[in-house]
Amino acid sequence: MLFSSLTFLYMFLPCVTLLYFISPKQTKNFVLLVSSLVFYAWGEPRFVAVMLVSIIMGYVFGILIEKFNERPLLSKSLTVLSVISSLSTLFYFKYANFFIENFSKIFGISVPLLNVVLPIGISFYTFQILSYTVDVYRGNTKAQKNFINLATYISFFPQLIAGPIVRYTHIEKELSQRTHSFEKIAYGIKRFIYGLSKKIILANSFGELCALFNQSSEKTVLFFWIYIISFMLQIYFDFSGYSDMAIGLGKIFGFNFPENFRYPFASKTITDFWRRWHITLGSWFRDYVYIPLGGSRCSKPKMLLNIFTVWMLTGFWHGAEWNFVLWGIYFAILLIIEKFFLLKFLGKRKILSHIYVFFFITVSFVIFATDSPNAALTHLASMFSLSKLPLVSPESIYYLKSFAPTLILGLIISAALLKKMQPAIATSKLAKNTLEVSEIIFILTLFTVCTAYLVDGSFNPFLYFKF
Amino acid sequence: MNKNLINIITTVIFSLTICSLSLIFIISPKKVFSDSERRELAKKPLLNSENISSGDFAEKFETYMADQFPKRESFRSIKAHFITEILGKKDNNEIFSVKGHLSKLDPEENHAMTEHAAEKFTYIYNNFIKDKVGNVYLTIIPDKNYVLAEKNGYPSMDYDTFIENFKNKVPFMEYIEIRDLLDADDYYKTDSHWRQEKITDIALRIAEKTGTELSLSDYEINTVSKPFYGVYAGQSGLNPKPDTIFYLTNDTIDNCKITYYDDFGNTYEGKLYDSEKALGKDPYEMFLSGSKAIVEIENPNSESDKELVIFRDSFASSLAPLLAGGYKKIILADIRYIKSYALEHFVDFTNSDVLFAYSTSLLNNSMSLN
Repeated sequence: MLFSSLTFLYMFLPCVTLLYFISPKQTKNFVLLVSSLVFYAWGEPRFVAVMLVSIIMGYVFGILIEKFNERPLLSKSLTVLSVISSLSTLFYFKYANFFIENFSKIFGISVPLLNVVLPIGISFYTFQILSYTVDVYRGNTKAQKNFINLATYISFFPQLIAGPIVRYTHIEKELSQRTHSFEKIAYGIKRFIYGLSKKIILANSFGELCALFNQSSEKTVLFFWIYIISFMLQIYFDFSGYSDMAIGLGKIFGFNFPENFRYPFASKTITDFWRRWHITLGSWFRDYVYIPLGGSRCSKPKMLLNIFTVWMLTGFWHGAEWNFVLWGIYFAILLIIEKFFLLKFLGKRKILSHIYVFFFITVSFVIFATDSPNAALTHLASMFSLSKLPLVSPESIYYLKSFAPTLILGLIISAALLKKMQPAIATSKLAKNTLEVSEIIFILTLFTVCTAYLVDGSFNPFLYFKF
Repeated sequence: MNKNLINIITTVIFSLTICSLSLIFIISPKKVFSDSERRELAKKPLLNSENISSGDFAEKFETYMADQFPKRESFRSIKAHFITEILGKKDNNEIFSVKGHLSKLDPEENHAMTEHAAEKFTYIYNNFIKDKVGNVYLTIIPDKNYVLAEKNGYPSMDYDTFIENFKNKVPFMEYIEIRDLLDADDYYKTDSHWRQEKITDIALRIAEKTGTELSLSDYEINTVSKPFYGVYAGQSGLNPKPDTIFYLTNDTIDNCKITYYDDFGNTYEGKLYDSEKALGKDPYEMFLSGSKAIVEIENPNSESDKELVIFRDSFASSLAPLLAGGYKKIILADIRYIKSYALEHFVDFTNSDVLFAYSTSLLNNSMSLN
């Protein structure tokens, strides 16, 4: 089920919220678990079994790893086994066909592809299970004995299909003991509606513009630029919108999820960008791959190898295609260059650093958006007028004019310019009160507009079927 | 204001909004048809294991909710006004407005479709017309965008190239040019069709080019009482002002005998202007009662022996009555509703001139031509 759907907003959400708040404390997690399974099953019921098996394995391994924690070898073996079993499931559904296809190409033979469809959210919940069992092994947390609690953590619908990647340690206490208040609910509602608006009003508009570009047979240099900027904004607002909705919903049910985006387009370096973009994924790879590999506390060649490994895997996590691997390597190279040469230089040059980030992030999205290195190069050549395309056409000018206010709004919001204005406005108590009351009217308006978009059946793509 | 009070108000307002709309959706009677969009609305999908396991139920339920949502038209209007007035987008659902004229952004020329249409016309020519004595004419009615889009900064199909390309596909037809006679006011503001009272010059041009004497000076302009919300009015969601349908009558038109063929080939008498349809869901269907495979217009007072067969789409429904005075008989054939190979059973081409009168939008989406 999608958050940005009438079924979710006007059927699922009121039913679940009502059931949740009228049910006694000891059954609240059960209500959330059943609701999450219904949420997941809606549209693709066959994959509930895959998720349940993964949860059961995580549960059993967690208990066994803890039980044998005084026998390090056995405990370690169980952890390795748990990691292998989780990754095998992910590999089978997500990566098997990629490897079969490439194997066939390399050896010139025809190996039939597996008839599998990627279960939605598998990359997210697999990483949550991995972090749980590894944390139990490391002694960072105790194994969860209550199956419902663990299953609720893994399958909890707000973060199930598009993150953030919530670690068990983030919400361990809240699973058994959490508080609810109007303050949290009101915050949750506001956060949810801001996220919903980002998705429906902004991300979907940019998505529509991207679709118009893809359909057009009269591409121009201008249209290539409009496309890539729209694509960047679409991915940002879709992903951060989903994260906002997840954080907001979590808050309504008494959970505090970690932040996942912090205005990444306002970054001054690529290193900074990755501290602000999909934060929970970056920190997951840091804590469960980069540091175990030795991190930066090792020889330089080893450290470089570690960085490449982590970023190749980060890219590959986004999808089983070469462009994502290339995308990861591209960032590895940039981050290494920054680490050794550029960071200090950029630190003193504010405007130049923003231009630098804009340029290299734009190129990264070209790699992300295309399906091969050749296609990426062709796209870049078109953007920089190196192909024989005309600069403009009536069509590209029309779409620029038509989407200009939305693009400007998207750029202002994504660059945190509105946020910077907030303290300047809210100086007095009266101003703060006025702002708070106005905010209610504002989000009610946003919610009405979002509903209107959905009722009108507007363009509403789902981007996470590859993750 | 107390912070907690604001939190309570926020919670209550949103809970009430969501719950009340959910409840109204559940208990309110469901609609079958959307008059504004001229389409059937989705029904509640069947809840069975097959539908659930395939995911169809979830997808259809979302469509059902969108179609049956409380105050649906108001929400559609909110979205349309938000997107055009707040976000400044120049079209909503591809419908744009220029000084009250609504039109739809063009798709690009679909060569497969124009090829398909040309093949159908060639088949008809080769099998029924080629060896007959009459002349064969083609006129292509440009979409409203031809006069509206480009000059107002909207992307538009290259109509001149489109028409030239099509003419070249059917070189056996003599082309009758009408583009120079059209401007934006010749079309309804909220609909794709042209206005009958504005196309008398086009009828005269066709008569002149086909060598027929036609007088259109003595007609009376009549008004349909029901406001006309054309096809773009509902799609746009912008609550535009309605059009008024006018239709022309004179003694010749009034005295014409109209014969319709039903789906089984049986004939029945009808009217040129259908007053029932004028008050129906699509008032433009008042012209020759809308979609009909074969219609005959006989002019008993004709001084001419000429007959004309018109292969046509809906644009010709309002044009044909104006041509009636120039011919003894006009037969209109719409090959969207009859197979081309069956035409010889209904249409006598022996002494007829033939006119193919099609709009660019139909030629560019011609899969419905049989």
